[in-house]
Amino acid sequence: MAKLDRDNPLMEALLDKHVLLITGKGGVGKSTVAAAMARLASERGRRVLLLELESVSRVGPLFGLAAVGPQPQQAADNLWVACLQATDLLRFFAMQQLKIAALVNLALRNRAVDSFFRAVPAIKPILFLYQLWHTEVHHGPAGDRQWDLIVCDLPTSGFAAGMYAIPETLMSVFRFGPVGQYGQGMRQMLVDPRRTGLVLVSLPELLPVTETLELHEMLRARYQVETAAVVINGTMPQALKLGELQQAADKLTGTPHEPWLWAAELLQSRHDRGTQAGERLRQSLPGRVLELPYLLRRSLPLAAIDELAAALLREAP
Amino acid sequence: MSRGHTLQDLLQNGHLLVLCGSGGVGKTTTSAALALAAALAGRKVLVLTIDPARRLLQALGLDDRHMPVNTPLDVLPKQADQLKNWTGTGRLDAMMLDAELGAVAMVERLLPDPILRQRVLTNRIYRAFLPTLAASPDYIALELIANLHEQGHYDLLVLDTPPMHNAVDFLHAGGTLSSFLNERVLKWFAKVPMPGQKSRFSFLGSGASVAMSVLGRLFGQETLPDIAEFFSSFQHVLPRLQQRTEATDRLLRASSTGFVIVTAPGETPRREAAHLHAELREQSMPFAGFIVNRVLSVPAGFDCLELTDPKGHSLTQFLQTAGLSGHVAQALLLASQRLEHLAELDADQVLALRQLAGPLGFATVAAQRDEDLHTLPDLAEFGAALLSAQQDVVVP
Repeated sequence: MAKLDRDNPLMEALLDKHVLLITGKGGVGKSTVAAAMARLASERGRRVLLLELESVSRVGPLFGLAAVGPQPQQAADNLWVACLQATDLLRFFAMQQLKIAALVNLALRNRAVDSFFRAVPAIKPILFLYQLWHTEVHHGPAGDRQWDLIVCDLPTSGFAAGMYAIPETLMSVFRFGPVGQYGQGMRQMLVDPRRTGLVLVSLPELLPVTETLELHEMLRARYQVETAAVVINGTMPQALKLGELQQAADKLTGTPHEPWLWAAELLQSRHDRGTQAGERLRQSLPGRVLELPYLLRRSLPLAAIDELAAALLREAP
Repeated sequence: MSRGHTLQDLLQNGHLLVLCGSGGVGKTTTSAALALAAALAGRKVLVLTIDPARRLLQALGLDDRHMPVNTPLDVLPKQADQLKNWTGTGRLDAMMLDAELGAVAMVERLLPDPILRQRVLTNRIYRAFLPTLAASPDYIALELIANLHEQGHYDLLVLDTPPMHNAVDFLHAGGTLSSFLNERVLKWFAKVPMPGQKSRFSFLGSGASVAMSVLGRLFGQETLPDIAEFFSSFQHVLPRLQQRTEATDRLLRASSTGFVIVTAPGETPRREAAHLHAELREQSMPFAGFIVNRVLSVPAGFDCLELTDPKGHSLTQFLQTAGLSGHVAQALLLASQRLEHLAELDADQVLALRQLAGPLGFATVAAQRDEDLHTLPDLAEFGAALLSAQQDVVVP
């Protein structure tokens, strides 16, 4: 792992929170970032739970786990993984309310209840937020928290935006009941920067970065949530220094060797766009930008996750 | 479409094209490009898209009003290849789905009675879930597509499926809707007494009263009237909703519908594409083919160099003969080897998808581009490239 003396203070601050919410558009590498951050925290000796909302776990296979379900499963030292589906979330919620397993089973087998939960649209983010909040506030008999850090690999930025709307809605719609109180608790957890860190994952291109900034602005304006960090995932290394690339281009253009410029030029143009995008982000969110290098391989074994975890700790350029 | 149709056939004769796949594979751009190609070929096309990138929105002339907006095609350069055969009869409309507005519009369609409608729109249960609809616009998109199809204003509808982590969820939306449409359950709820009201329905037996007591304990007793009302108002829309669900299902399975799975290199998109393909087959949905975006390919002439070194020199030496310093030649070589390796991985993946598609499905490959596509001419060019790409389709 990376040396501890020059570690990135931004990353250190993230690892001190209770909950990290990782989100971004589809395909930007949320799961990878979530896994790398969870790995990092667990190696610091913190008890970490990584939550996925998937039908099949993406992170489990990285740690050699065949099947990951709703029960936290140990993936490495200090690191547990759980993968939640709508039915798991519903069972958890029902269990907290009804307390007795037999009653929960009876309730969930009831056709009318089942039908109700199928009918209400988008109940998943509500039940997820409930379970997350409940897990975060739950203390053991000795007053200790169950987990030091819960890392959530959220589906999409649309899901995240919908999730932030939930507490207010519950509070206004169910003003006097228990559900309204849950809404209040959820809101306190989401807006407290010591407890929760929102991490937006983006790509080293201008367009994704623009959209990331729009999401950041929207969440801030509408829900008073501050983005804790933005991760630019997949920045390209330069194959050659600029002068060298120019020299190579001068010598090879028009010769049969010209195709050999292809790779270096492709990497260079990606690198340039990534640099521009990074600058744009750093202007808007100074001190809150992390970069992850593009790994020139297509599958991500555990070694690659560790490589990325180490990169997260390096001081930003 | 029925088995063994090319992308051209689909755009020419199909009525519904559903593009699905995991996030970040270029699904929205591909949908827009295919819709534009069909419009340029003379058809009246609507592309329904969800959460597109802003510059793509601008290219299509879209704003977020949740209604079809015409994309003027005459801004395309007249000399463009794609326009050569344009007769001027084609039309492209684009519409961005807004889940909240869509939900309200759906309730309006299903409940023409203003008083009943108002009851639904002010119901606490309905209001509680409305803002979270953005997280799963699948119901709304399906219902909307069926509605647009019924209206018959368009020859072809192109549906860009919602950006969900698990693209398969989309296919289950219809089923979820039908399981909710359980008349008996709705009737139970309709008869539930309001709090304080003495139950006249003890004969209802355990089902409904257990349900109400459970829901009361889950959400608080004071929410029960809202829950009961939520269901009782749905009872009024039941026949129409049922008919709509059946229509949606028929439309998705029609022989003039084609599902295209959009994917890109990488482990996750590959897994999702295979999963989606299996799911389509299992549900007997009309799979048409794969479109594989962002495939890295080695430029022409690149491989030959390896063979043309006459004296068996190492490639670094070979590049040095061109006058490059050893260090620069080494760096070029390293970069090339890395990207060549990536290109090989991509080629393997494309091959695997071609095999999966079988003899009747297509697997169209689009090369990786340096820039995002965000103007109409870009989209036109991309659509033309997709149509001219080798598709390996065998029509029986």
